[in-house]
Amino acid sequence: MTAYILRRILYLIPTFFGATFLAFLIIQLAPGDYLTQLELDPKVTPETIARLRVQFGLDRPIYEQYLLWMDNLLHLNLGYSFAFQAPVLEVIWPRVVNSMVIVIPSTLLLYLVAIPVGVYGAVRQYSLGDRLLSFLAYIGLSVPSFFLALIAIYVLLQIKFRTGTLIFPVSGMTSSGFEQMPPLRQILDIAWHAVVPVLVATANDIAGLSRLMRGQMLEVLGQDYIRTARAKGLAERVVLYKHAFRNAVIPFVATLGGLLPSLISGAGFVEVVMAWPGITPFFLDAIANQDLYVIAGFLTVSLVLLMVGNLISDLLLAWVDPRIRYE
Amino acid sequence: MRRALVWMVGLIALAGVASAQTFVWPQKWTVAKPSEVKRGGTLRAAVISDYRTFNPFVTAEAGNVPDTISPYGLVRRDPTTGDWIPYMAESFSISPNKLEITFKIRRGMKWSDGRPITADDWIMTWRIHTDKAVGSNSYDSFFIDGKPITLRKIDDYTLRFTYPRPDATAFAVAEFTPWPAHIFGPVYQKEGAEGIKKMWTLNEKPENIVSAGPWLVESYRPGERLVLKRNPAFGEWNKDEAGNPLPYLDRYEIKIVKDTNAQLAEFLAGNIDLMAPSTVDHISQIRQAIQQGRLDATIKVNASPVASSQFMVFNWNKASDPFKQSLFRSEKFRRAMSHIVNRQAVVEIVYGGLGTPMYSSVYPVLTQWVNPKVPKYEYNPQQAAKLLAELGFTRKDREGYLVDSKGRRLEFNLATNAGNVQREQIAKLIVDEAKKVGVKVNFTAIDFNTLVGQLLSSGPDRPFDAIIIGLSGGDLDWPFGSNVVPCKGNLHMWNKSGQCLDPRETQLEALYSRGRTELDFKKRQEIGYRMQEIEAELLPVIYIAGPNYHPAWNNRLGGEHPDAIISAIWGQRELELTFIKK
Repeated sequence: MTAYILRRILYLIPTFFGATFLAFLIIQLAPGDYLTQLELDPKVTPETIARLRVQFGLDRPIYEQYLLWMDNLLHLNLGYSFAFQAPVLEVIWPRVVNSMVIVIPSTLLLYLVAIPVGVYGAVRQYSLGDRLLSFLAYIGLSVPSFFLALIAIYVLLQIKFRTGTLIFPVSGMTSSGFEQMPPLRQILDIAWHAVVPVLVATANDIAGLSRLMRGQMLEVLGQDYIRTARAKGLAERVVLYKHAFRNAVIPFVATLGGLLPSLISGAGFVEVVMAWPGITPFFLDAIANQDLYVIAGFLTVSLVLLMVGNLISDLLLAWVDPRIRYE
Repeated sequence: MRRALVWMVGLIALAGVASAQTFVWPQKWTVAKPSEVKRGGTLRAAVISDYRTFNPFVTAEAGNVPDTISPYGLVRRDPTTGDWIPYMAESFSISPNKLEITFKIRRGMKWSDGRPITADDWIMTWRIHTDKAVGSNSYDSFFIDGKPITLRKIDDYTLRFTYPRPDATAFAVAEFTPWPAHIFGPVYQKEGAEGIKKMWTLNEKPENIVSAGPWLVESYRPGERLVLKRNPAFGEWNKDEAGNPLPYLDRYEIKIVKDTNAQLAEFLAGNIDLMAPSTVDHISQIRQAIQQGRLDATIKVNASPVASSQFMVFNWNKASDPFKQSLFRSEKFRRAMSHIVNRQAVVEIVYGGLGTPMYSSVYPVLTQWVNPKVPKYEYNPQQAAKLLAELGFTRKDREGYLVDSKGRRLEFNLATNAGNVQREQIAKLIVDEAKKVGVKVNFTAIDFNTLVGQLLSSGPDRPFDAIIIGLSGGDLDWPFGSNVVPCKGNLHMWNKSGQCLDPRETQLEALYSRGRTELDFKKRQEIGYRMQEIEAELLPVIYIAGPNYHPAWNNRLGGEHPDAIISAIWGQRELELTFIKK
């Protein structure tokens, strides 16, 4: 096992260089650069733009920029943001933390709701409850999260117009005067702001995951060994949870590693629409501005987490599934 | 009696020396009377993009933190007249040759940390801005045609600006905000530009951010909210006409809301006080909420045009396609194209009726500068067809497009930046109108950076036919662009061959230089009028239309501008004179 892990880590090194270079190349292939926006400003002379380009190192060939960046990276420095004139890690870290306030509860909620719902749907296939849940799941799958967020804002506003109170905030992560609140109030305030974004961010995923779980469970329930277990006269509870569920859940274990990068990659457009100060709006800005090292730096962190996550899922898989052995 | 009066005057004069020399904010800048004003409270606003730094020397985006906490300099403009008035300067004098302006700095002004504000602060700020290695966005404003404007300290409270030549925008240079020499100076001396760039990042403790202006940073949460509080040192020398220190507000909170729909929701929910909706839908939602009594607010629809332009520009440098090149260089062709631009339809369809047609490079909001007699080649398809016939396009081919005697079809490509819905709509309107007179326009929306690359490429053969784009950032002193009008200018978009091709380009260039060095406003205005006439004749750029400015505010606020000065230039209010009514 140790040899396997070591080998996997060795494989990661060329993957890392290949992937970062590819990412860097693709970012650089986009036309223009960070300073292009400035070129249409009638107050800025072309000489100034040329001077800034030299200052930012944007005048050098791509491979030279990549090597310089790689050199920094090996010193654990993700580079410098043009827009913020500050180290990349310093500017992205607070956003990642903010995103986690949504991503962690929504991931927990996702598994807590989707798995039981999927199991219920499989066990009571074609019952009224199953049909209702399937219907809701299809709606959940078909409505994009940004649109759901807009609907949520609309509903909140209508309630405010009718009753005069905002039951949940329409946007943001904290209320006015947050800085003056005692610590407990601050935590409650953030939690209050997080409710709607967490629900919206989870809605789509619950629909998808519960359908997957239902399908897996149905497949397992049709297997011979389940029939055998039932024939032996085992209690239905034992059949379902000890035999069927444990096997149905294996494919999900394989995806657990993918959670690691998703922890830092934000909650998507919900953050943009509901003005949540997470990483998504920030990253979109960086792409729009071609803030090179922010994009490259963030991709690198995600890449490393993805590689580590994959390794972890493989190990977990070996642990839960006795058929898999790494030598 | 007389003796008492003399004593009184003497005492007042003494008091003036002892305390700060105050700047009194004129009553005419606000609708509120000093008697109805209340002190305290928080103003809540929202911005679209996040803040990037507290550092005044590296900040670049509009509405940045340094400009917000301390927006003023030696002089400022009176919004009621547009004139430059002394502000942090107590007075100024201009040398007879108009190359030097000497400013007497107001005494008794203090930084928020209590240190006096003196000439050294301006000198240090200017030095850092003009250090190439710092990369300040203000760098270019300290040069005229590449020649530097210099500052000299005469004494602690006297500064002299020397210009390489007389310049209409001289005072705009003096408007720059000073920053504390006692904070930036030592770092600059020790570590140079690199040291300066590392200062006042977003991680800086708010109490270390020193300001000369109305606000201090209280707290900042990235992506969320900037909270500013009143700077008491500012109130020592900024008073209203009743002698109350300004600003009236305790706090100024700016939420960062990246989505305009979310901003609207916050305004409708009463969570933010200021809004400038830009779409018809947002405006009508606000109006509806007000009419149905769900929101106690005011909205001024069509307060003024905004200070920006949208236009179509043809490429004069197409050596690889002599047919198109001669077409695009033909004034008759461009005039015909102006005649097919249905500006009224653009205003109706693209801006929902809330826009203003444009016919010259001067933004319609700069009313003093707009020549009312400028020739307008308005929407007139018959006239367009006639002009095209004069160019030899009399026959139509099987598909209904005009061809000349050699069978060459009248056709060109039109591009704009993808994602700008309004420009895309304008382009589609032009395509339709062109088709009606028999001109084939092939429209494509392309990536912004690619578009800019094409537009700013130079030489005899450039890779585009026509582009729809806009510029913004007008100047009240001299509204013509320093890199747009001159033939070698970087934004001389129609002709980047590096030389003037039409005698009227040469003429415009000469008038531009003359106007810029003319200090008499009346004479400068005449030159500007003349330039607009030539522009309208030459039509290097076909101006289309622009949206209007529609400010809205929650009625808990008082102290907005009188209606006459609410505009995209002056905004809806001076924050210093704004107060919370309830």
